[in-house]
Amino acid sequence: MFEDLGVKDAFASITGQALLKAILVVVIASLITVAVQKVLPRVAEKLGGKPRLYLLASVPLLRLLIIFATIVIVVPILVEPSFENMVAIFGALALALGFAFKDYANSLIAGIVTLYEMPYRPGDWIEVGGQYGEVRAIGTRAAEIVTPDDTVVIIPHNKLWNSLIANGNDGTDNLMCVADFHLEANHDVGRVRELLRDVAFTSPRTKTWQPVLVIVFNKPWGMHYRLKAYPFDPKEQFQFISELTARGSAELARQGVKFVSVPVSVG
Amino acid sequence: MKDNTNDNKAASCLPGGLMPAEQWTLPQTSVRRSLKDAIRHALTQLQAGVSQAEEPFESMDELPELSAAQQRRLAPEPDYAHQAEAIACSLKQARSSGSLSREVVCLVAPPFSGMQQALTRFSEPEQPGSIQSSDETWRVIAPPETLCFDDQEASKWWDRQDLSRPWVIPELADFWLRSLSGLALIRELFRRIANGDSGVGIVGCSSWCWRYWGHYLENAQMSPWTPAPMDADRLGAWFTYLASGSGRSTIVARMTGDGLYVLPLAEADDAENSKSRKKRKYSTFLRDLAATSRGNPGVALAIWQRSLRARPDDDAKLEETDDKTDKQSQAADCWVVPLGRLSLPSMPQSKESVTGFVLHGLLLHNGLDMASLEAVTGVSTYELSLVLSRLKRAELVACDPLDQRWQVTPIGYPTVRRHLQSWGFPLDQF
Repeated sequence: MFEDLGVKDAFASITGQALLKAILVVVIASLITVAVQKVLPRVAEKLGGKPRLYLLASVPLLRLLIIFATIVIVVPILVEPSFENMVAIFGALALALGFAFKDYANSLIAGIVTLYEMPYRPGDWIEVGGQYGEVRAIGTRAAEIVTPDDTVVIIPHNKLWNSLIANGNDGTDNLMCVADFHLEANHDVGRVRELLRDVAFTSPRTKTWQPVLVIVFNKPWGMHYRLKAYPFDPKEQFQFISELTARGSAELARQGVKFVSVPVSVG
Repeated sequence: MKDNTNDNKAASCLPGGLMPAEQWTLPQTSVRRSLKDAIRHALTQLQAGVSQAEEPFESMDELPELSAAQQRRLAPEPDYAHQAEAIACSLKQARSSGSLSREVVCLVAPPFSGMQQALTRFSEPEQPGSIQSSDETWRVIAPPETLCFDDQEASKWWDRQDLSRPWVIPELADFWLRSLSGLALIRELFRRIANGDSGVGIVGCSSWCWRYWGHYLENAQMSPWTPAPMDADRLGAWFTYLASGSGRSTIVARMTGDGLYVLPLAEADDAENSKSRKKRKYSTFLRDLAATSRGNPGVALAIWQRSLRARPDDDAKLEETDDKTDKQSQAADCWVVPLGRLSLPSMPQSKESVTGFVLHGLLLHNGLDMASLEAVTGVSTYELSLVLSRLKRAELVACDPLDQRWQVTPIGYPTVRRHLQSWGFPLDQF
């Protein structure tokens, strides 16, 4: 079958020297990739803010460029880049991957798709399959996220095909946070909305140029308020929500507005 | 004739006059300079964790910095009474040309622009030639001792203020605290201004505070005015005016490295119509300074004072000059260190968020004492004192010994602004 595809002819001209050269190029490319993956995130951590996001997002793009450049350099070293030879090599490669490493190849291809579709980038806060965290690295086969509890979760890229991926900040440093307040009914709704808006505006963590919204729902048990605002840094989201909740609750209690509580059944 | 003299003085101490804030533009700089600044900023951030010894300012130049007497002579602080006159004059022109018709005008300026000090002079009897009616004196409205009010209390407080005759608030940032009970006074003031029942007045406001309230009161359209940005020519004219005092002498400033001229300006030289002067080569220092200071006169003056050098024996010469009569005008020479060789304050490495809260809080409120800073940032006094002492060593903040208020320093302002920007904090528009 390989003879039919012309693979034998394509590889017939490979010499030992060419093979060594190709291996050398691949090794150098791998070293550069590792260096990029190690150094840039460290530099990004030092810079903070927007430069951090840009630098982190450039890591997978640089890796894609290196992979592409390596292929462009290695293929002509090994075989004459004629149309027949290319068809033969890529045809054989497709067959091998299709049969032997189907899932692995699936993730690899999805990995390449993530590099240009960018459903998530390093620095993004995403939720996939019930796991929420910050994307730490995007590998060839899988992405690594770190949850708020400092647990690393490996997510194969092939989740991309059939899972819902929620991205909180989508490559920017704007991440909306929501603080919920469940209050008993019979209070001045307008006053409470104003007060909660002030709670967000007086937090030192709030990005005041982004919208600050207070949404209210009438529920059978009372009123449900959702205070929505953006922290200055996505990493501050949990501190931010905690602060809004604590200060909001304290002020509501001072104003005599009561919270609802659900009876807990034990056993 | 007298009007012309006043206009010239106004043009010198407030170059460019006032303009609507939306017309303000950042002074331009060369691409090379922008890149250099960006790289320097990035390197400073990267080096922050590596070496921590370079916090205090170090002069890279062999010539000594100016003595206090030399600084008073060559780069003195501006006379804010003159600046007040210039502001009044500019407002009068804007009113007579029809571009300003509001009864209450808001003057927004970045920190260290001298707006607050100038507006404080409005209440002095000889100040200013009045904006509308010359027989009216302006009443300065001072902030209350405590800033925590509810809406009713705030309304009562404003009721007690006499708004029936022209009033001026030198700095609106002194009227609020970023806490739940600290917003009522300004909210009530803006409500009254919007309703048109606040009479004739001037509200001076720091650009940081203004930006915050612009976001808070998203529907308020106050159309603020602002001093024109200090570009290279305006800076040159202003520095010359400051150094000339009452017009006794001119200043000649040259770069230490290559001897290129900084002052007098090329245009002033052309007016002299001297062949030798036409051959002079001029430095781009003022253009770079205008860009580094973002057109902010106070910041530019602080860097200018830092960059000036004079020989030690010039001290005596300058004192002699001061003693001589006005007619015996004499040129005072000084040297200017290139911006690239000045080591301006850099940000010490510390917990980003706490440092950011402190610096942002200080800029929003135009300076705060420790107790208010604690209320605004939510950072404990103990941690605040640690952060403030580090920032003080780095020359980024200073404490006023009179009222114990902490403030960002003019020389540290560009670094502070840049870091707050990269950390994601809300900035002012200037």
